Amino acid sequence: MGSPLHPAVETYLGLPGYTYGWAILIIGLALFCYTLQRRWVLIRSGKADPRFSLITKRLRGLFVYGIFQKRQPRYSWAGVIHILIFWGFVVLGLRSLDLVTQGLGLPLLRPLMETGFGPVYNTLKDVFELIVLGTCVWAILRRALIRHSRYEGSHTFEAHFVLGLIAFLMLTDMFYDGSAQVLGAPDGGWLPASHGAAGILWGSGPGFVRGVHAWSYWLHLLTFFFFLNFLPLGKHFHIITALPNVFLRKLTKGAIKPARWDAADLEELDSLGIEGFEDFTWKHILDCFTCTECGRCSDNCPAQSIGRPLSPKMITLKVRDYGYDKVPVFPFRQGKAQDEAPSLIGEVVSHDEIWSCTTCGACEEECPVFIEYIDKMIDMRRHLVESAQNPSSFNKVFMNVEKTGNPFGKPAGKRAEWLKELETIPVKLLKQGDEVDVLYFVDSYGSFDPAAQRIASAVVKGLYKAGIDFGILGPREKDSGHQVRRMGEEGLFQLLMEENMETLESVGFNTIITTDPHAFNTLKKDYPGSLNVLHYTQFFQPLIEQGLLKPGKALKGNDICTYHDPCYLGRHNGVYNAPRRILHSIPGLRLVEMARARDRSFCCGGGDIVLWHEIEQEEMRMAEMRVQMARAAGATVMVTACPFCFIHFEDAIKTGGLEEHIRVVDLMELFISTEEEA
Amino acid sequence: MNIVVCVKRVPMTQDVDLEIDGSGKEVKKEDLAYVINDWDNYAIEEAVIIKEKTEGTVTAVTVGGEDDEEVLRRALAMGADRAIRIDPGAFILDAFVLSKVLAETIKDLEYDLILTGVQADDDNCGAVGVMLAEHLGISHAAVVTSVEPQGDQAAVRVELEGGMDEVSRISLPALFTVQTGINEPRYVSILGIRKAGKKELRVIGIQDLNIQEEALSPRLIVEEAFLPPKTGGAEILSGDPSAVAEEILRILREKGVNI
Repeated sequence: MGSPLHPAVETYLGLPGYTYGWAILIIGLALFCYTLQRRWVLIRSGKADPRFSLITKRLRGLFVYGIFQKRQPRYSWAGVIHILIFWGFVVLGLRSLDLVTQGLGLPLLRPLMETGFGPVYNTLKDVFELIVLGTCVWAILRRALIRHSRYEGSHTFEAHFVLGLIAFLMLTDMFYDGSAQVLGAPDGGWLPASHGAAGILWGSGPGFVRGVHAWSYWLHLLTFFFFLNFLPLGKHFHIITALPNVFLRKLTKGAIKPARWDAADLEELDSLGIEGFEDFTWKHILDCFTCTECGRCSDNCPAQSIGRPLSPKMITLKVRDYGYDKVPVFPFRQGKAQDEAPSLIGEVVSHDEIWSCTTCGACEEECPVFIEYIDKMIDMRRHLVESAQNPSSFNKVFMNVEKTGNPFGKPAGKRAEWLKELETIPVKLLKQGDEVDVLYFVDSYGSFDPAAQRIASAVVKGLYKAGIDFGILGPREKDSGHQVRRMGEEGLFQLLMEENMETLESVGFNTIITTDPHAFNTLKKDYPGSLNVLHYTQFFQPLIEQGLLKPGKALKGNDICTYHDPCYLGRHNGVYNAPRRILHSIPGLRLVEMARARDRSFCCGGGDIVLWHEIEQEEMRMAEMRVQMARAAGATVMVTACPFCFIHFEDAIKTGGLEEHIRVVDLMELFISTEEEA
Repeated sequence: MNIVVCVKRVPMTQDVDLEIDGSGKEVKKEDLAYVINDWDNYAIEEAVIIKEKTEGTVTAVTVGGEDDEEVLRRALAMGADRAIRIDPGAFILDAFVLSKVLAETIKDLEYDLILTGVQADDDNCGAVGVMLAEHLGISHAAVVTSVEPQGDQAAVRVELEGGMDEVSRISLPALFTVQTGINEPRYVSILGIRKAGKKELRVIGIQDLNIQEEALSPRLIVEEAFLPPKTGGAEILSGDPSAVAEEILRILREKGVNI
C-alpha cells in the first residue's frame, strides 16, 4: 500500500471531495458571520468607552494575562487544565488551518510542512493532542465528580458538551493520521497520538481503515465548523472574545468611570446611569460576551459569602441573556423577547443586588478575562439615584454632605475640633496662600467620628515626631466624595471635587497624605490633576526605615497580630508591603497571615453603603466573618489601616462577645502606642 | 387638581453653637448652612404624589431672596411645574406679614389645594399656614398625616393630642399643614436640581403686590434674643460603659423612676 488518497480528492456521490470542503467552509463561515453580526449589533448599541490608550501597556497585559494566562493558576487545578487546553488550541490552530485548506484543494501550508518544521510540528501537535485529550477527560471527570459551588448557575451541560467536542476533534485527527499510517503513509517521526490510533486500527481490513480515514477527516472538518458556530451562542464565545477583552481591559483600577465618556455636560443628558441594555458601554457588553461562567468572581465575593443576594457572575449572565434576547440569533425568538421584556433594573437585576456590592474589587481581581463589575454597579446606582429609587436612608446623608460637607450634618466650622485632643501638638490650619510640605487630608470620618479621630490623632503625632512640616484644611475641607460617588450621586461628587480642588489649589504642598484608603483612592484616582497622594502607611514606612521615626518599647505579652488588607489600599492600589514593613519594624511584634490576605483580602463591609443601608438578606456581617478568619489564623490582634475596617471589626468583636479573644487596632495607633509607652 | 405648596429655606442648627448677633435680637446666621424646611419637603412630596394621581399642576411658592430660590429649584426637581419667589426687600417678616404676602400672591392663582409644612425649623411658629387660610377665607386642617382627594373634597387625617387621630372630609379649596412622616420625600440629585433650572421660576417684588403698608408691619416684635443661661444640675458620667449604665440605673431609681 502507498500513501492513501486525500479524502478531499476522492469523489463522493459523483462530486470531488473538495466541493464538499468548500460547501462546509462557505456555509460554516456564513453562519458564523451572521451570528457575529448579531453580536456586533449589541456591541454597537452600547455607549462610548475609550479603550485604545497606552497600547504597549495593553499589549503587555495581553501577553501576561491572555497568552500566559497569569491569573489562571489562582485556582490551581482548573488553572492548569485551562492553560493546557489553551496552549493546545494555540499549537493545534495551525493544524486546523492545514486541514481546512487541504479540504479546499488549496493545501497552502503543505510547503511549510514539507520543510524541517513539518516533522517537529507534527510531533508537537501529537503531544498536544494527547495532552488536550487527557485534559478534557480530566476536566469532564472533575466537573462530574466534584460539585464546585462556583459553577452554580453556570451551564454545566454546555461545558461537558464542549469538552466532548474538543476531545472528539483530537480523536478524529489522531485517527485521521493513524489510519493514514496503517494505509502506508511514510512514517513522520515520533508521533505518539497517531501511532496510538494506528495501533488500534492495525489488523483491521483495508476497507474499514480507508473508511476511518475518510470519515475522521470529514467529521473533523464538520465538527470544527460546528464548534466555530457554537462558540458565539454560549459561554465559549470567550475563545474568541477573551483576548480582545484582556487587551481592552480597564487600566485605572480604583477609579470610577465618568457618568458618560462622550458628554461633558451631564446636565444636558436626559438620563444618567444604566436603565436599559444600551446604557452599558460597548466594552461592558463585550464583558458579558466574554464571561466563561467560571464563577471565580462570585467565589470571592464577600457579599455572596455572607448570603447577600449578589453573585457577580449571575449579573453578567443575566445581563448577557437579556441582551441576547433583545437581538436574538434565531429570529423566531424575536417575538417573545420584544413583547414581555422585563425591565433590566429592578426585574433582571434587583435593587438589592445593586446595593449589596461593597466595591471591594475581589471579583475583578480574580476574573481571568478582566470583566469589570464596579463601574457597572455604579452606573446602575447612578440610574437609581437620579430616578429617586435609592434607599431613603441615603437622602439625609446626601443632603448633609451637600450642605455641611460631611455625612453627619455636623457644622463645617467644627471640622477641626478633634485637634483639641492633641493639646500640645501644633497643627497648622491652612489658609489661602499657605505653604507646607505635607497636607494631611483628614476627611469626614477622621474629623468627626470618635474612632477615626483617634487614628487621625495618631497620624498627627507621627507627623509631629518625624518633624514634618504639615497642615490640615480644617473647615475648608469637604468630604472627599469617595462614598457619594460609589453610592451613585455623581452630581454631588462633582460638586465636592470642584470645591476641594479649588481649596487644594489655593494652598501650596508637595504631598497629600490620608488616613483613609478611600480618600487616598479618590484623591489619587478620581480627582483631576494627578495629585501626589500617599496613604499614611506609604508615607511613614520610609521615614521609619530611615530612623526618622522610631518605634518605642518592644511589644510585651503574647499577642499575635494579623494584618487585614483594606480593599482600597490593597487590591485597588497595590499597597501591600508598606503596612507590613511598618509592622515588622515594631520590635517584639509577631505577625501571622490570614488565609485570605493581600489581593485575596476579604472586605470588612465597606466604607459607604453599609453605613447607611442594610441588606436584609444576609446570614452574618462581613466583619464578623473576617474576624472569624483572623481567629482561624491564630491572631489575637487584628491590625488594619482603614478607619472603616476598624469600625466594622470593633463592632463585630463587640456584638460577637469576642473581646476576650481578639481586638482590633489601627496600625498607626499601634505604632504610636509603642512610643508612648516608651 | 392644582396645588400650591409654600416652602421655606431654613438654617441647619443641629450641633451648631448658636451665637447672638450684634443687635441682640437675632441669631448669627452667616456661617450656617441652609436647607429646605423638613416639613415643607413632605408638603412638596405630597403635592407631587397627588398631582401624579389626579393630574393638574403644582406651584411652589417662597418668600425670600435670591439664595432662597434653591428650595424652589429643589421643589421643581421633585416634580413641581413652576415656582414663584416673592422678594420681600427690606420688610421684616413675621408669621402675619409672611402669610399676608403669600395670600396676596396665591389669591390670583388657580388652586384647589394649598399645602404648607406644619411649621418651619427656624422659628417654629407653626402659624403661617393657618393664617394664610384665614387671609384667603378657605378651610384648613393642621398637622395633617394623610390626604385623600375625593372629587371636590378631601379626606384628611390630623394628629390630635394624646395619640388620637381625627379623620374629616373637607371641601376644597382648602389648606392643609403637612406633618413629617406623611410620605417618604424622594431624593433629588444635584444634577436633577440643576436640570430643573430650566423650569419656570417667576420673581415678584413685594411692592408689586397690592398690599397696604399697614398689613406689612409685623405683629411680632422681638425685644431680645439670648442663649439659655447656664445652670447647674447636669452630671456627666464617664468611664466604662457598663459602670456608666449601672450608675444611670441607680440615679433613675433614686429619682423615683420605676424600672
